[in-house]
Amino acid sequence: MSELVLAPWRRAPGASLRLYLGFARLAFLKYLAYRLRYYTGVVSYTIFVTGNAYLFRALFASRPETAGGVEIGGFTLPEMITYIAVSWIGRSFMFNNIDRTLAHQIQQGEIAMQLIKPFHVQTVTMFEAAGEAGFRLLLFTLPIMIVVVPLFDIGGPPRAALYGWTLLSFLLGMVINCQLNFLVGCLAFYLKNIDGVIRAKAITLDFLAGVLVPFSFFPGWVQTLAAWLPFQGLSYVPVMIYLGKRAGPDLASALLVQAAWAIGLFLAGRLLWARAVRSVTLQGG
Amino acid sequence: MNGIQLAAGPQRTRWQRAGWQLQIIVAYFAQFLKTRLVYRVDFLVDLAANLVAVGVQLATLTVLFDKVTALKGWSFEQVLFIYGFSLLPLGLFNLISINIYSFAEHYIADGNLDRVLLRPVNPLAQVLFESFNVSGLNEIMLGAGIMGYAAVALELRPGPWDIAVFAVLVPSAALVYTAVFLGLAAVSFWFEDRLGLAPPIYNVIRFARYPLTIYGRGVQAFLTFVLPFAWVAYLPATWFVGGPDVRRWAMCTPLVGVLVMALAYTVWRAGLRRYTSTGS
Repeated sequence: MSELVLAPWRRAPGASLRLYLGFARLAFLKYLAYRLRYYTGVVSYTIFVTGNAYLFRALFASRPETAGGVEIGGFTLPEMITYIAVSWIGRSFMFNNIDRTLAHQIQQGEIAMQLIKPFHVQTVTMFEAAGEAGFRLLLFTLPIMIVVVPLFDIGGPPRAALYGWTLLSFLLGMVINCQLNFLVGCLAFYLKNIDGVIRAKAITLDFLAGVLVPFSFFPGWVQTLAAWLPFQGLSYVPVMIYLGKRAGPDLASALLVQAAWAIGLFLAGRLLWARAVRSVTLQGG
Repeated sequence: MNGIQLAAGPQRTRWQRAGWQLQIIVAYFAQFLKTRLVYRVDFLVDLAANLVAVGVQLATLTVLFDKVTALKGWSFEQVLFIYGFSLLPLGLFNLISINIYSFAEHYIADGNLDRVLLRPVNPLAQVLFESFNVSGLNEIMLGAGIMGYAAVALELRPGPWDIAVFAVLVPSAALVYTAVFLGLAAVSFWFEDRLGLAPPIYNVIRFARYPLTIYGRGVQAFLTFVLPFAWVAYLPATWFVGGPDVRRWAMCTPLVGVLVMALAYTVWRAGLRRYTSTGS
């Protein structure tokens, strides 16, 4: 039993990793049990891509003066359709409800039981999210791709290497998304009514991430603002990489900025958590 | 005991029964308001979240129309009007009928329908009026504001006849929403495993707010005749902002609402008859 030492300060790093990987595995299995619920989700995502594809087709068709090789916001129509499809595909992979789950645990006082256990709640949350993302990738994102890619005749990136960079960028995006959700969930320590905040975040995130409209459609100052915020790392950055619009040094800096946000937000989460649990008074369960 | 009496017994006339049911519904609403007024902050937070949603939609429209002068012939103000209009029936539906959306889960799986069936009031009326979603009121206010702004920008001069038509079209469109989701709820009597069809269908709503002509013929036909969301915003709103060729279809909205509702209610009745409780 030496591997299962409970006191974290006496636990070997390998044992810690095994402990946390266990949470990822459990989360994967939990979502596997509910996999049937995701079939209608595939329909929803197909609707999102279809609706938006029509909207942007209409937009491009409404520019008669340059009907042939028309570009809007630096996109040709096929690029635009690819943008929509890839960004929704990426969203299907990284979406999770960490914020809601965490807020619920805090409001119900269940978090007290987590606090007395020998692990770090933030790390557990991240590994659970990784388990969920693994499940989503196999049984949600993949089916969506099987439907959407042939339906809209979505082509690959200009260079095969970009598959790898896009995947890496989406992985970083997923980490950023988890950290943001964790921070929002932590607000439940301070706010009585967190549901409105979570709703507002859910509504704005697709917009801020660039899922609804790519930032190159916006005026310059909005693009500058977006570049200074972490949200475009969720969707806009990986999809632009896929389209080959971030090449060479741009590609490297895009990935580095994403990584910096992932680490920075993780540290912010640590800090907020440490402050919050010290001052919190929980309702007895 | 000349207030609410215990049972709508057979000795009463049809009108007395209807009046009595109405009394119950008013009592339901009063009860609900009392529970909501405890959480006044929730209402404000909800309003803020709704403002954010509308803000995102407006920003999207603004950016798109920054690139073109018209979207398939529809101007920014026309599209804005249709969007604002769409929030009115949606708000009415969310206010009154949102219970029907989670019917399969809350009433069938959790067994709450048993409680409903034990009472001598129309089961559908009970389900619809058991709780209200105040967030609907926000949508109605915001929708009216946006529609009003678009109407002024378009220099619309609505006459008394237009206002009467408007007063009929909005509840009719809300009826279409309720009927669609009632139909879905009714189907869950047969497929007790939660079908989960409601979320994808709810997600279609956001695309039914654009002029339907931006979609292909197949999608247009689907939204007009199969999943009739063409009748919740675009077609009724064309009475005010559409050309003469689409305009005449707007007046069919009440008919469509009643038809779809009759169909959904028939399925609902049939489902109720074959309902057996989960016993939980």
